[in-house]
Amino acid sequence: MKAFTNANARDARHAATLAREARTAGRRAAFAGGGSDLLALVKDRIVSPDVIVRLTSITGADRVEPSPSGLSIGGLITLDTLSRDQVVRGQYTVLAEAAAAVATPQIRNVGTLAGNVCQRPWCWYYRNGFPCYKAGGTQCFSVAGENEFHAIFGGGPSYIVHPSDTAPALMALGATFRITGPDGDRTRAAAEFFTLPRQNAATENVLAADEVLTAVQIPAARPGTRSTYRKLMDREAWTHAVVSAAVVLEMDQDVVRSARVVLGGVAPIPWRLPAVEQVLAGQQVTDAVLQKAGEVAVAGARPLSQNAYKVPLTRNLVRRTIRELAGRG
Amino acid sequence: MSQQNDARPGLAPLKTLGQPTPRIDAVERVTGTGRYTRDVVLPGMLFARVLRSPHPHARIRSIDTSKAQALPGVKAILTHENCRVVWGAGSIAGGQQYNDEVKKITTQRRYAFNNPVRFVGEPVAAVAAVDRHVAEEALSLVAVDYERLPFVLDMNEALTPEAPKIWPEGNLSPNNRNEVQPIGARRGDVAAALSTAARVFEDRYTTAFVHNAQMEPRACLAHWDGDKLTVYTPTGGIANCRHDMARDLGIPEDRVRVVVEYMGGNFGNKNQNQDADLITAMLAKAAGAPVRLEYSRKEDFIGVHGRWPTTQHYTVATAADGTLTAIRLRGVSGMGPYRKNSGTMAGIELYTCPNTDLSVSPAYTNRTVSANFRGPEYPQGFFGIQSMMDDVAHQLRIDPVEFALKNMSRMARDETPYTNYTLEECVRKGADLFNWAARRQTTPGSDPGPIKRGAGMTYMLFRSGLGMSSAVLRLDAKGEYTLFVGVTDVGAGAKTTLGLIAAEALDVPLAKVHVVWGDTDRCPYSVGESGSRTTIMTGTAVVEAARDIKKQVADRGLPAGDQVYLASASPSPRLEGQVRASFGAHFCEVEVDTELGDVRVTKYTTVHDSGRLMNPLSAKGQIAGAVIQGIGMALHEDMVYDRRSGQPLTGGYYSARVATHLDAPDIEVTFLENDDGYGPFGAKSIGESGIILAPACVANAIFNAIGKRMKDTPITRARIIDALGAPA
Repeated sequence: MKAFTNANARDARHAATLAREARTAGRRAAFAGGGSDLLALVKDRIVSPDVIVRLTSITGADRVEPSPSGLSIGGLITLDTLSRDQVVRGQYTVLAEAAAAVATPQIRNVGTLAGNVCQRPWCWYYRNGFPCYKAGGTQCFSVAGENEFHAIFGGGPSYIVHPSDTAPALMALGATFRITGPDGDRTRAAAEFFTLPRQNAATENVLAADEVLTAVQIPAARPGTRSTYRKLMDREAWTHAVVSAAVVLEMDQDVVRSARVVLGGVAPIPWRLPAVEQVLAGQQVTDAVLQKAGEVAVAGARPLSQNAYKVPLTRNLVRRTIRELAGRG
Repeated sequence: MSQQNDARPGLAPLKTLGQPTPRIDAVERVTGTGRYTRDVVLPGMLFARVLRSPHPHARIRSIDTSKAQALPGVKAILTHENCRVVWGAGSIAGGQQYNDEVKKITTQRRYAFNNPVRFVGEPVAAVAAVDRHVAEEALSLVAVDYERLPFVLDMNEALTPEAPKIWPEGNLSPNNRNEVQPIGARRGDVAAALSTAARVFEDRYTTAFVHNAQMEPRACLAHWDGDKLTVYTPTGGIANCRHDMARDLGIPEDRVRVVVEYMGGNFGNKNQNQDADLITAMLAKAAGAPVRLEYSRKEDFIGVHGRWPTTQHYTVATAADGTLTAIRLRGVSGMGPYRKNSGTMAGIELYTCPNTDLSVSPAYTNRTVSANFRGPEYPQGFFGIQSMMDDVAHQLRIDPVEFALKNMSRMARDETPYTNYTLEECVRKGADLFNWAARRQTTPGSDPGPIKRGAGMTYMLFRSGLGMSSAVLRLDAKGEYTLFVGVTDVGAGAKTTLGLIAAEALDVPLAKVHVVWGDTDRCPYSVGESGSRTTIMTGTAVVEAARDIKKQVADRGLPAGDQVYLASASPSPRLEGQVRASFGAHFCEVEVDTELGDVRVTKYTTVHDSGRLMNPLSAKGQIAGAVIQGIGMALHEDMVYDRRSGQPLTGGYYSARVATHLDAPDIEVTFLENDDGYGPFGAKSIGESGIILAPACVANAIFNAIGKRMKDTPITRARIIDALGAPA
């Protein structure tokens, strides 16, 4: 790997400042939480930062803290800790299940929530050093290439799929993201945090080069809420989702008061399905409702040459996940 | 996992052999104190890195290493211009391994550095420097001017007249006489049998390239002391590696020492010598210092070799009652651009059939090289023919077990008896343990679903030959034995197994036998950890050496004071008029989620006759581990290439989707123990045999579950969903 210097951050603001200072001095900076993604990219020379700003030197930014308006989770919490947190498991199950579905125990032990949300795409062109949009280039090699695992929604000009498991869960929970830059903090709803390639093909979210995702706020769970995350993988561990579904249902007896359904693995961002949510709202989860939910889930799908299988898969996963969650009672 | 052993009537129990025994180096391995190649440090040692071709096919117009040479800390740089070493094991006419005569006449030669380069990942230059970072930095300063050439990735396309030629003779790889001809084997008259057959069936199957994926990527440390070369390298066969290094470098064998104390797996990826060994030795010579070369996981996947992909077109004829009358195979194997192994396909030998015709065309492609991987020609050949026969049985409305019992081999090539024969018993026992009749869907796909269950079966026989190997045994006055065997432990437990054989033969506890292994200067010739033969061949030598030293004790009494007794043996037993084989049958159950495309192996039952078990603990692990590897090949693994650029996209554990522990089903391992009178105490081959059956077994179970024949590996979720069509 290329040589780099390490800079320990005292707090998030300091981390952002260190990144800005490096950039001002003409040096490339990168943030490292657990580093499990970044260091692999550095070793493969996909990215070559001159300075790595280490976030794990920050204390106190890895906690789950209940607040009157819900829950605040520090971005540096490890995925393993998050997946075992009793409050999260009990009231925000979809997030605990998503965290537990990531990669391997080794990666969950060091990988952080913020890192999982902000990880770079796992498109095999990007990871093999092709000069694609994500690497600052001007084409997406999957379009006329090998696209079995690529996007069926929201693609163009890049067709990567967002690799995070926790991001769809956070979006389904209506989370708000706190972003820290050298000049202060700002917040973005999860839905406004992720950006489609047509807005900016080189990135996956609104973070500027010297900004970090520091915390997520999750609104308090309404009574009758239940949630789950279901991930389809090509082996039982250590792959990203072929398709995943984060579903949150607010139930009144057996009637769905409101629903949030967000997919992973099918679009360049966590892909919310408002049409499915509308189909479910105010309804009992009958076969007819599920049938309709599946149909509208994939109404806008535009598969590439090799990933048409993701369309029935998505439809069936949406139906299966909603049915099982509604039936948990 | 569970395990049973059926003790044979008449197979008298032994004292030491047959007891489940932990490895003698287990503690060192799991506590991290075992010294692997990457742990060896020599004073003044340099670090090497290899620059690899980014193109699938290109002529190197020029290489400018001056900038790299000028980088402080760089000590040596090799390219095809200053290193013209032929890598004999890297390309052999006909893929005839271990054959010096064929290597001598091989015209399509492979060098440590080749020009043109013929696959992405082929070595172009190597640098030795004071540390890893300088070596890597130096690689980026090597300027290579490539003339890109047309390339071909697909093995069938490679054999068309319009395909770019990878060698001047074309893309059909020559045989061991440099004649451009497919591999062929015929018996009887297939054409006549087809014309008179009651039923004729035809189909086509394909298998994908899969990598050995052994835990330890390739590494080498080379050191010259005058004209004597010492190579620390993870090799499955130190004697073969020494022989290869001496031949390739043009030095006497006694000027080469090969050492491997511990290694992290082989699975056929580390037999013989590798280009990494030659490159490291030549760098060490050029730099005048010890050099350590380490591959990354990706380099290991794309730069060494994996299992050859195949297409297999079968024509099968039967009589009205389902008795086989003819089998014809027209196959193509993708070898990459060099012939490192034969590329043939096993399977026809499983059947009693008077008319057979095999023709396999080993085709050159601009992909990673194909060669040895645990049962080199078996799992892919068995996937094709045992899927085909499962389908024939289905179309004839015959239970696959019944079809197997009707048509299985009873004598080798229907003419030579086996030393013992338990194939039928393996199948019957497996069907019984698995509860085949209850688990199988009489009508495939009839389970209502959406999660459908089904069951499949396969059976095998696998060569279990005898041959020459050596052992040396020493006894001192304290009654301690030292056993010198030139083996390495590639994972199958050779060090422990040979210690156990010695202990049994000497009638002493294992603790009294100290095993010395893995060093050509200390140990006699051993056959090499390939072909599932170390236990049989080196074990036979151990038994003879033990017999010799026992006789010395009987004649002269125990040694006293500083006296030692020595015994050595180099037996070369042969079989006349018989064939020795291991037998086995596998049964598995799968659940296929027809909506989500998930395939789960929910039960896996194996029955093997591997002769007498030396160490049941290792034997069980060999079968179970191999089954998991085979399931990975069946369901997940592939080397995907970008067709436009010729770049491999799935080099590494993550993207090749190698099976994890969570993918491993409950595997029931049962052995039928026998002693056929050959090998040490009746031991036969185990190591490769477990992987051979799994891909076809899983595929047949999937067919039974969903009623759709999956003809291509890997049987991915996408393929399952596509095969089932889009349900409403």
